[in-house]
Amino acid sequence: MTILGEFALWIALPVAAWGMALGFMGGRTQRGDLVLSAERGIYAVFFLLILASLGVGAAFLGDKFEYWYVASYSNRELELFYKITGLWAGQRGSLLFWALILAFFSSICVFQNRHKNREFMPYVAGVLQGVLLFFIVVLLFAEVNPFERLAFTPVNGQGLNPQLQNYWMTIHPPTLYLGFTSFTIPFAFAVAALLNGRLDARWIQLTRRWILTSWLFLSVGIIFGMRWAYEELGWGGYWFWDPVENASLLPWLTATAFLHSIQIQESRGMLRVWNMSLVLMTFLLTIFATFLTRSGLIESVHSFAQELKIAYIFLGFMGTILAGCIVLILYRLPKLQSENRIESFLSRESAFLFNNLMLLGFAFAVFWGTIFPLVAEWVTGEKISVGPPFFEKVNFPIGLVLLALAGIGPVIAWRRATKRNLRKNFIIPISVLLAVGTALWFSGARHPLALVTWSICAFVLTIIGIEFWKGTRARARIEGEGYALAFMHLVARNRRRWGGYIVHVAMVMIYFAFAGAAYNVDERFHMLPGDVVEVTSPFGHTYSLTYEGLTVSLGKGDRNLLWQAIAAVSVQQNGKQKPLMTTEKRMYVTGDLPMTEVAIRSTIREDLYLILSALDDMEGAVNADANAQGIDLQVLIKPFVGWIWFGGLMLAIGTFVALWPSVDRRRVALEARSDAAAEPAMAGAAD
Amino acid sequence: MTLFIGASLVALAVVLFILQPVVKGLHASLERDEFELTDTEARKRVALLALRDVEYDFLAEKLDEHDYRSLKAELTAEALAALEADEQAQSGAGADEDELEAEIAAIRAGLGAGSVCDACGFSNEVGSRFCASCGQAVAAEAAG
Repeated sequence: MTILGEFALWIALPVAAWGMALGFMGGRTQRGDLVLSAERGIYAVFFLLILASLGVGAAFLGDKFEYWYVASYSNRELELFYKITGLWAGQRGSLLFWALILAFFSSICVFQNRHKNREFMPYVAGVLQGVLLFFIVVLLFAEVNPFERLAFTPVNGQGLNPQLQNYWMTIHPPTLYLGFTSFTIPFAFAVAALLNGRLDARWIQLTRRWILTSWLFLSVGIIFGMRWAYEELGWGGYWFWDPVENASLLPWLTATAFLHSIQIQESRGMLRVWNMSLVLMTFLLTIFATFLTRSGLIESVHSFAQELKIAYIFLGFMGTILAGCIVLILYRLPKLQSENRIESFLSRESAFLFNNLMLLGFAFAVFWGTIFPLVAEWVTGEKISVGPPFFEKVNFPIGLVLLALAGIGPVIAWRRATKRNLRKNFIIPISVLLAVGTALWFSGARHPLALVTWSICAFVLTIIGIEFWKGTRARARIEGEGYALAFMHLVARNRRRWGGYIVHVAMVMIYFAFAGAAYNVDERFHMLPGDVVEVTSPFGHTYSLTYEGLTVSLGKGDRNLLWQAIAAVSVQQNGKQKPLMTTEKRMYVTGDLPMTEVAIRSTIREDLYLILSALDDMEGAVNADANAQGIDLQVLIKPFVGWIWFGGLMLAIGTFVALWPSVDRRRVALEARSDAAAEPAMAGAAD
Repeated sequence: MTLFIGASLVALAVVLFILQPVVKGLHASLERDEFELTDTEARKRVALLALRDVEYDFLAEKLDEHDYRSLKAELTAEALAALEADEQAQSGAGADEDELEAEIAAIRAGLGAGSVCDACGFSNEVGSRFCASCGQAVAAEAAG
């Protein structure tokens, strides 16, 4: 099976090259047979990559350590679950997995469009095959072939990095990859529009679902990554401004900008060049993210290896795409002129533009902070690292402006807003903002950043709440419906608008949680069994923690565990007994240093987070020495942190609302034809 | 041996699958399907959606009456032009983009020239007999 997989990867190479060439040729010469062949090529590549992935899977399951990749990321004792997910545990497999997902999305795209959007499809097929070809070339020629064999067969593999043996780690990378790769489809449509000259808003309408899907996966993938860091890295944080985290945030930022600015192109025919640039930028940033992770150029907790050849190949690919797209955009510049101008500074359009500038500013700061160490090292020869203070200083203010815009935007009318109306619409939200700010101040929550963030959160929530209320009331009045029904219909009739607002609420929840970090409590104690310590939460209650003792269990090499030292801590909150918490040190066969497993007790208000920082006498503890029970315990209290995960859920719900297909488009198109002449305003409402 | 046969079969199947259209002359359509939006339809839809948004913004009190009426008049003109262009395109007359632009411009000009209320200066919809803003009678407009 594994050999067949390797063989399949080699066949995929000419098939993708053929598909790419025929796609572009078929588009140019308008020959349907060439295009059909190119499209079938995509299905074929997908099939071949499935075979290749099965090949890698079979090698993992069969403990075939003659393969470098299997020997490096697995061993006999590894749990079955992690053997299956071994495909994306390391660089080589991830690249194959990436190509596989891209081929999967490409196949869906070709299948969906087999009878429609045919003017775009030749070039779409060409671009998709081109990107697939790139990944296959990387796999085969950049010394990252997952099928590379060792000169000998080791008795056992080196095993999987224990930090990667975590549930979140098995779903975080695939989710991000889903986001990264699905963005290739809008990019392919954009390039197709540039090539076939159909530069109205259609390519955007055609790919809106893809854009949202990709955005959803990116968002959720990033949040999964935060969750993994929070649980597994063992110091209580969820975001490190680590290069790879930054790299995944970058396309999210530009994709968010894109999601907003396409609305202006759709409704006003403006910003065509800008949208083209954003889609190009986002696509390049998804490749850049892969590049950063997979080339190991920048040191990061995620980087896999220090391989330069692959870096050059990636840089070459990104450079080619960038140059090609710039040439195409310049060539089509006359057709990319706007139909309209922004009529007034006070309009939804200009609010969106401002939002775009902020997001891009944010992205640029992150980008610069990420690559600066590299540039600096290249210029001065010294390693410099850019830490969280830089990112926080630059991005907190921008982030706050963006949060405020999430509330301001919806209240401003399209085209031109009247100042009087603005005043009227902002009176209540601003009063709420001031009231919440004052209340926080007097309740003692005076940390400036938290105070400002929470006040703005209240402002945005008020605005969105009023929006929902007004819409429901208007609908209830006009249609004579009950409020609940009116609310349902309101959302159903314009899913994009209301789905978007739900996502804004989700962002408020996430910001709310971020600001809670201003009140983190962090204390360290040295404890012997029976010791009791007290830690006071910012909410005023007190935890008293009793160290119950250390239990050491020796793994028999099972799941690669050597030993496990479990510290049990019983918790009382204001004298009330809570469930026992345990935090551990684990030593794996595969690591040199013991790993920490933290204990987390989550409530809506705060997380109590315990870290077993150190054992007084590790050797003694492992050898069951009764006197070696002393530990260092770190106690963190993290207000509101759970709201990040609720926010993520809300974000997914909002995106689903916006994504959900409303009415069959063909029917709408047909009905619109018959109804439109008679009832223009009604027909337009069917979206 | 089985491996060799398996690999050959996979390769053969793939090659046949992708070469068949070229050899047998099977063609994928490269034309727009009749159910798909045409440019003029897309334009029409955008105009109608914009109207809906203005209606909503007015209901949600983001626009005052004056702005609402003038925006609505403008958008109605755009929507009408788009509708007309769409009908022409469907009947085969084929209004291209420039014609459409010209038509919108003409209707806008008509709005400005013919339906401005003498009493309050408000731009009324095409064909209005009374001003939507102040209720005065409006002079018959030039373009319609």
